[in-house]
Amino acid sequence: MLLLGTITHIKQISRSPLEVAIAMVVPIVQATLAVYLFRSGGEQHRLIEAAVGAGLMGVWSSVLFGSGGAIQNQRWQGTLEMIMLAPRRPVLVILPITLATGLTGAYSLLATLAWGRLLYGIRLDFVHPAAFVVAAVVCIVALGMFGLLLAATFVLMRNANALTNALEYPIWLVSGMLVPITVLPAWTGPIAAVLPTTWGARALREATTGGPVWPSAGICLAISIVCLILGSFALTYVERRARATATLALA
Amino acid sequence: MKTIRLMTVGGVIAYRALFNWTRPSIFIGTLLIGPLFQLLFFAYLGRQLQVADDRFYLVGNAVLAATLAGVFGGTLAVGNERRYGTLGHVLLSPRSRTAVFLGRALPYGANGLFIAVFTLSVSALMLGLRIPIGAVPGLLTAMAIGSLASAFFGLTLGALGLRFRDVWVISNVAVALLMLLTGVNVPRANLPGWMATTGQYLPITHAAEAARQFAAGQGWSAAGPQLGREALVGLGYAVLAAVLLKVFEFESRRTASLETL
Repeated sequence: MLLLGTITHIKQISRSPLEVAIAMVVPIVQATLAVYLFRSGGEQHRLIEAAVGAGLMGVWSSVLFGSGGAIQNQRWQGTLEMIMLAPRRPVLVILPITLATGLTGAYSLLATLAWGRLLYGIRLDFVHPAAFVVAAVVCIVALGMFGLLLAATFVLMRNANALTNALEYPIWLVSGMLVPITVLPAWTGPIAAVLPTTWGARALREATTGGPVWPSAGICLAISIVCLILGSFALTYVERRARATATLALA
Repeated sequence: MKTIRLMTVGGVIAYRALFNWTRPSIFIGTLLIGPLFQLLFFAYLGRQLQVADDRFYLVGNAVLAATLAGVFGGTLAVGNERRYGTLGHVLLSPRSRTAVFLGRALPYGANGLFIAVFTLSVSALMLGLRIPIGAVPGLLTAMAIGSLASAFFGLTLGALGLRFRDVWVISNVAVALLMLLTGVNVPRANLPGWMATTGQYLPITHAAEAARQFAAGQGWSAAGPQLGREALVGLGYAVLAAVLLKVFEFESRRTASLETL
């Protein structure tokens, strides 16, 4: 059910020009910006980090906007009641949507790497190429699970869009996707430590430039499983509350 | 006088229509917190890469912040009429539709100015940037002209929304391109020639440069030419938006495709 659901939602997302633009065009623009910034700073040897970082930023945008709107979109399409009537746990119905947003976000990573290679001649010399692939998969699945918690939280808020729009840059910044977290104020450290995005970004960076990939990937996965459990409970609570108060379809 | 009233009152009513179905949270989250963190992101990245100083990033990104309201607002000013099926009513109006739509850009310009001022003030306090008090009038002028130019740019994109189905794609890509091409984050001298040239015809490029000159303590004589160029760019987009709206209105009537999504 998870697999079929995920494939269905990937197909649906892939037919939305907006989703494809956000997943592909915008990250490429940001990757270009990152490349020129790194060049301007005399950091040509770190261009591959810029491409990977920009790609991961695209994955996060896809998960954030996709998961944030996962339930709202079903509401607007008039399909929320139908999927909630399914005789399965709500988590099994919503998780495929958030996983699909993570997988669609993988376009970003691939697009920015291909763009960097073809246009700017960035050599894709990963120190641990196999670990990079594993870390990317872990990161995408982990963000999908994190997205479930976001979806469950956002459904409680009438204006989830406000939070969605406000959360894109803070997570990019605090997770160290392009800016090393060491240059940020110390108070951001504890926030970064509990975000799966921080560990996912770190795992990808370590696979790219060298370092112990597996501990970071493991922590990323562990935090995401906690998000999955919390999201699952939250969804069950939200569903029961919405049924009891007859507010499921109300925005 | 009637035309001015139509533009200002009509613009304010349309602006309220866009926001009255939401709570202030959507305004704060989207138009205040989002741009502030965007600025901080590039300021810290710039610091780490030592591309330019804090003033470059804070002032440049504050002007860039104004484009959010202008580009998305301007796009939605036209796009939402179509989406909610009210475009026909607007076009049936016996008054000048050019004045109606150009008037829509005015509140977004004011909104953009407010966002730019908020973003620059808060970020300057957070990162310790000192701005000379004498620079404030010049900065406000640069931001105001940049905001208005962005709103007319957004209106031009909104006009394209009369022909293309998904205006969100156009506006999202446009905002990302402004970040790259206007020199607010990468000094224009470090961009390829075609990118720097394209940037000259986009809103906020010249406003950001003028604002940086004011923030650096230079006067009107130094920043004046850049302000003039920004005003010309804004005027150009206002004329282009008016022409496109006229042409697409005619085409929509001719092919009966006004409400087609």
